[in-house]
Amino acid sequence: MNTFKTYHPIVNFAYFTFVIVFSMFFMHPVCLGISLFCSFAYSILLNGKKAARFNFLYMLPMLLFAALVNPAFNHEGASILGYLPGGNPLTLESIAYGVSAAVMIVSVICWFSCYNAVMTSDKFIYLFGRVAPSLSLVLSMTLRFVPKFKEQMRVVANAQKCIGRDVTGTSMLQRAKNGVSILSIMVTWALENAVETADSMKSRGYGLKGRTSFSIYTFDLRDKRAMIAISLLGIYVAVGKFAGGLYFRYFPTIKSVAITPYSISLFFAYFALCMLPIIIEIREAQNWKSIKSKI
Amino acid sequence: MKKYGYKILAGLAILSVLAAAFWWGGNAPSLRGRKDAQTSDINNTLTAHIPAQPPVDISSERESQQQKDTSNNPLNEKEAENSDNKAPVTTKKEDSGGVETVSLDKPSAEPASDEKPVPESRKDEETADKQLTCTLSVRCDTILKNISWLKPEKVELIPEDGIIFAEQEVVFYEGESVFNVLLREMKKNKIHLEFENMPVYKSAYIEGINNIYEFDCGELSGWMYRVNGDFPNYGSSRYQLAPGDKVEWLYTCDLGSDIGGGSSFQGIRR
Repeated sequence: MNTFKTYHPIVNFAYFTFVIVFSMFFMHPVCLGISLFCSFAYSILLNGKKAARFNFLYMLPMLLFAALVNPAFNHEGASILGYLPGGNPLTLESIAYGVSAAVMIVSVICWFSCYNAVMTSDKFIYLFGRVAPSLSLVLSMTLRFVPKFKEQMRVVANAQKCIGRDVTGTSMLQRAKNGVSILSIMVTWALENAVETADSMKSRGYGLKGRTSFSIYTFDLRDKRAMIAISLLGIYVAVGKFAGGLYFRYFPTIKSVAITPYSISLFFAYFALCMLPIIIEIREAQNWKSIKSKI
Repeated sequence: MKKYGYKILAGLAILSVLAAAFWWGGNAPSLRGRKDAQTSDINNTLTAHIPAQPPVDISSERESQQQKDTSNNPLNEKEAENSDNKAPVTTKKEDSGGVETVSLDKPSAEPASDEKPVPESRKDEETADKQLTCTLSVRCDTILKNISWLKPEKVELIPEDGIIFAEQEVVFYEGESVFNVLLREMKKNKIHLEFENMPVYKSAYIEGINNIYEFDCGELSGWMYRVNGDFPNYGSSRYQLAPGDKVEWLYTCDLGSDIGGGSSFQGIRR
């Protein structure tokens, strides 16, 4: 259920670089809407029910909270709706900006959850292990840290449970004590694990000159096509942004670039770029169906 | 040399980027009219002595004013009672609508130096204060001369003659500050105003009027206020108004020296 993951790492990386950078910098409401929709759709496609629950249980409240907080601190804008108790004005522009910034944050978080599901650490090491060995090792270890920590925590907690140190049930004080002992075990484990990983990589000659490394990735026709599509769409959108085709400002008055066929084409290109993995997924499913029906 | 070649090159690259950012960002001393400020400083130091009192004088004057305030309190109360009897009901209403929403303490309610706390009764009295008048104006005509520095999205906000709030008589109540009057008038006339309370200085700082903010027209730009021709060296919410005061809010593009208020900043240099 994850065809895009089987593509060459450079294709995955190019896609996520474009999409995450664009999500961060494009403040046009249409672009934000596209980004939010696609990130939600793709994360649900990748992680299923878990992602859907996370998105609607945590991301949506966070979106609302961030949108509400902005007008409390930002009072710029020409259309005054009313006055806050402090005496500063409440403006339409600050509310609009708050909503947009909140949508941006949520969609970027969502894109990163997709990134983690697709770009595994071996892919990252494959891409950057040669260029910056120590940096890529540290980065991949850092990115792996939280999920690995969670997993180990579960193991340790279960082991502690077996010897009667339960973190559920008993009195508050006892639970806190057991929790602290688990935490101390975890910290020790994390430090030791990091040192061990580094040592083991070093003993294998990681990052030495002239050393080759095995990889299972080949850049075939499929990757070539995807890469061309991603870079063409990405460059078209980026050029459009620099040419002012996606201009939108919130302060002091809300003003958008005129909606012309050109800007609509930019929106479509951006949408196509964001939807690319989902399109690939759908096409793959259709392909599989047709092959199956032939048998 | 070969071994460290990359490092030296990297260092040079970083240095050149920093230098470019410094000049391009406009922090260079020769840019942004800093030179003008220095030449006009001489004029200001000459003239500054005559109209603007040295800081010591101001503080002592303020203290004495506060002493007067506190000593006159019983008298004020009497006055207030009198005015309460005479004053029409409408003034009371206006007062409670306009003033009570302001969280900032009036200057008399919280003295700059905590030596003489004002009795609590003073606050109750405020609702029955006398109506006084002063003149208020808000102008940004310095921007018209430096329109090329202005952020492009703000150009549409600048009035053609640079007058945001034409000079007119406005009502204030006894004990109110320049800030209170500005806030009330801007609200009444639906002009945007953003300020920030600065607990460190026990004062309010005006960040933007009519969406024209500090730093919008060059790095030395912002709002300053002038009362009867002088630029006070402290926050507007600590300046207690006197009847007939002429209050002007002016936008400077050059740290005050383009509106004749450069002397307010000279305490730092001297």
